[in-house]
Amino acid sequence: MNDREGRIESNRMVAPGYFLMEIRLRGALTRPKPGQFIMLRIPGTEVFLRRPFGIYRYEKEKLTLMYRVVGKGTERLARAKENEPVAVLGPLGKGFHIGPRDHYIVVAGGIGIAGVHSLIETLGQKALILFGCGTKEELPIIEDLAPLKPMVSTMDGSYGLEGTVVDLLDSQLKSLKGNSEIFACGPEAMLTGLKKRIMEERIPCQVLVEERMACGLGLCFGCVRETIDETEPFKRVCKEGPVFDLWQIRL
Amino acid sequence: MANTSIELFGKTLKNPVMNASGTLGYGKEIEPLWPVETMGAYVTKGLSLEPHHGNPLPRIWDQQYGMINSIGLQNVGVERFFGHYFPFFRSRRIPIIVNFFGFSDDEYIRCAERIKPHELIVALEMNLSCPNVKKGGISFGKDPEMVYAIVKRVKEATSIPVIAKLTPEVKNIGEIASAAHEGGADGFTLLNTMPAAVVDVSQMRMPLRGGLSGPVMRPIALRAVFEISKAVPVPVIGAGGIMDSTDALAFLMAGAKAVQVGTATFVDPYAIPKIVEGIGEYLTRQKCANLDPIIGCTHREDSGSR
Ligand SMILES: Cc1cc2nc3c(=O)[nH]c(=O)nc-3n(C[C@H](O)[C@H](O)[C@H](O)COP(=O)(O)OP(=O)(O)OC[C@H]3O[C@@H](n4cnc5c(N)ncnc54)[C@H](O)[C@@H]3O)c2cc1C
Ligand SMILES: Cc1cc2nc3c(=O)[nH]c(=O)nc-3n(C[C@H](O)[C@H](O)[C@H](O)COP(=O)(O)O)c2cc1C
Ligand code: FES
Repeated sequence: MNDREGRIESNRMVAPGYFLMEIRLRGALTRPKPGQFIMLRIPGTEVFLRRPFGIYRYEKEKLTLMYRVVGKGTERLARAKENEPVAVLGPLGKGFHIGPRDHYIVVAGGIGIAGVHSLIETLGQKALILFGCGTKEELPIIEDLAPLKPMVSTMDGSYGLEGTVVDLLDSQLKSLKGNSEIFACGPEAMLTGLKKRIMEERIPCQVLVEERMACGLGLCFGCVRETIDETEPFKRVCKEGPVFDLWQIRL
Repeated sequence: MANTSIELFGKTLKNPVMNASGTLGYGKEIEPLWPVETMGAYVTKGLSLEPHHGNPLPRIWDQQYGMINSIGLQNVGVERFFGHYFPFFRSRRIPIIVNFFGFSDDEYIRCAERIKPHELIVALEMNLSCPNVKKGGISFGKDPEMVYAIVKRVKEATSIPVIAKLTPEVKNIGEIASAAHEGGADGFTLLNTMPAAVVDVSQMRMPLRGGLSGPVMRPIALRAVFEISKAVPVPVIGAGGIMDSTDALAFLMAGAKAVQVGTATFVDPYAIPKIVEGIGEYLTRQKCANLDPIIGCTHREDSGSR
């Protein structure tokens, strides 16, 4: 793991509220695994703590992030100019474990796509990609995945299936034969819906969960999630996660 | 190379820098970045008699010059700490200060009793910010009589030196410090976090109430260190918003024998090694052979109360 200084190379809006940012680092990161994340020092002095972001793409000292504006840190990030300095701590946490399976299904809700993007790039054609969002205006955020033919649902029915990405999954599950594994990242409601839907079949499923973080290193215990472990139920998302076995965490 | 070591309760620490309790996990987590023995001593996460699950989420929120946390003292309990985590410090020969707490007098006493003296244990650090469940939730550290009584009982229960870690949430911290000293406290850590809250205006909610730490606390902690180190003849360890070696030196000059660094590590994970290095460089630059001319140097020129 490294703490690297870097400079913003580009920062552009890809869809309303969604941004893609490229950062040129001074020195390489240890090779990240899909599902790992970084802690980003936001430019300027208004934002005190770093913020966690998934590694959308990483190659040769160039780090790409995709983020959605939700609060003061991401708002400041959206205003960030080319060449502004940042710092990047990572790669952090435990990523996805890709075991031998007949099918891999990646379920992403909204900005959750940022967390599984590098996993999708790793799995390539082997993955069935299910993406859900609010309206078709958000679709540019999966534009680069077009060759992998992602399936889409929108809440307002403006594109693809009308409904949630869990409804979309539901429409696909019956046709799958052999053993499959699901990888998921998205809002809390998506994760609970997902769990409910696959409860009966108990399909293996790894989920990337998010929590507010201060350190990203397991130092502060600010980011815990409750699991079924009896001796130490509250696990740190940044250290024991952010990827957890869906059947181990309490939702 | 200047000598940055200090003597604390008869033990020699190679430098006066420690982490603040609860801000460096169980010690091992930082090792991918730097070895724990970079510091003079490691301070444990607050330990209790029984494991604690801590508070619900959210547990952290940031402000421009600090953060508010409500971790709620999540910890594995004193038993599991010594069974599971202490061997790491033993095998590496790293001195530790054991921070502990209870929600009743008995919990404090029984927790202290469980901690057996060991050559690597420099002291027990009593977190006096805990609410006393038997006294309707008023914190132990706010009432001089309660402070005197609890420190005295803990002193009777252990042969390890006892440090009282005080809360800033009091009218007269000098009075609390005197009470702890009369109770037998061998030293002080100043300060713990200050009660604070966050309001989310867009949602018309108060998402978090917790303890404030970071640079906003620094001037308050500096003043407490200055006054108490002058008034009470035992070592004082400074904590509160120390971000770099200049801040650390300020605390030493105000009278602290050692410093603890907490929130800074979240902002810059290398803050502690940088502070250790910066203190050494300062001594060399000033041609000081050791920390003696630095510690408490501001006391000498003090011209009275303000
Ligand atoms: C492991 C991990 C990976 C992440 N990857 C990405 C990513 O690739 N792209 C992306 O856009 N976001 C990602 N997030 C979420 C991102 O960290 C938050 O959106 C960001 O920290 C919000 O900062 P802010 O200052 O803008 O919000 P704040 O002003 O701090 O808070 C505003 C709102 O955002 C919510 N929020 C704050 N922190 C988080 C959080 N960690 N997760 C979810 N909601 C939060 C709060 O509940 C609050 O309502 C990730 C989070 C984690 C833990
Ligand atoms: C996340 C977090 C957890 C803490 N946990 C404890 C604890 O368990 N026991 C304790 O005595 N103080 C605890 N503190 C207080 C710190 O040890 C320290 O006194 C305070 O944060 C001020 O120092 P700082 O500004 O350098 O962080 C905690 C502080 C933070 C930020
Ligand atoms: S963010 Fe500090 S423990 Fe996870």
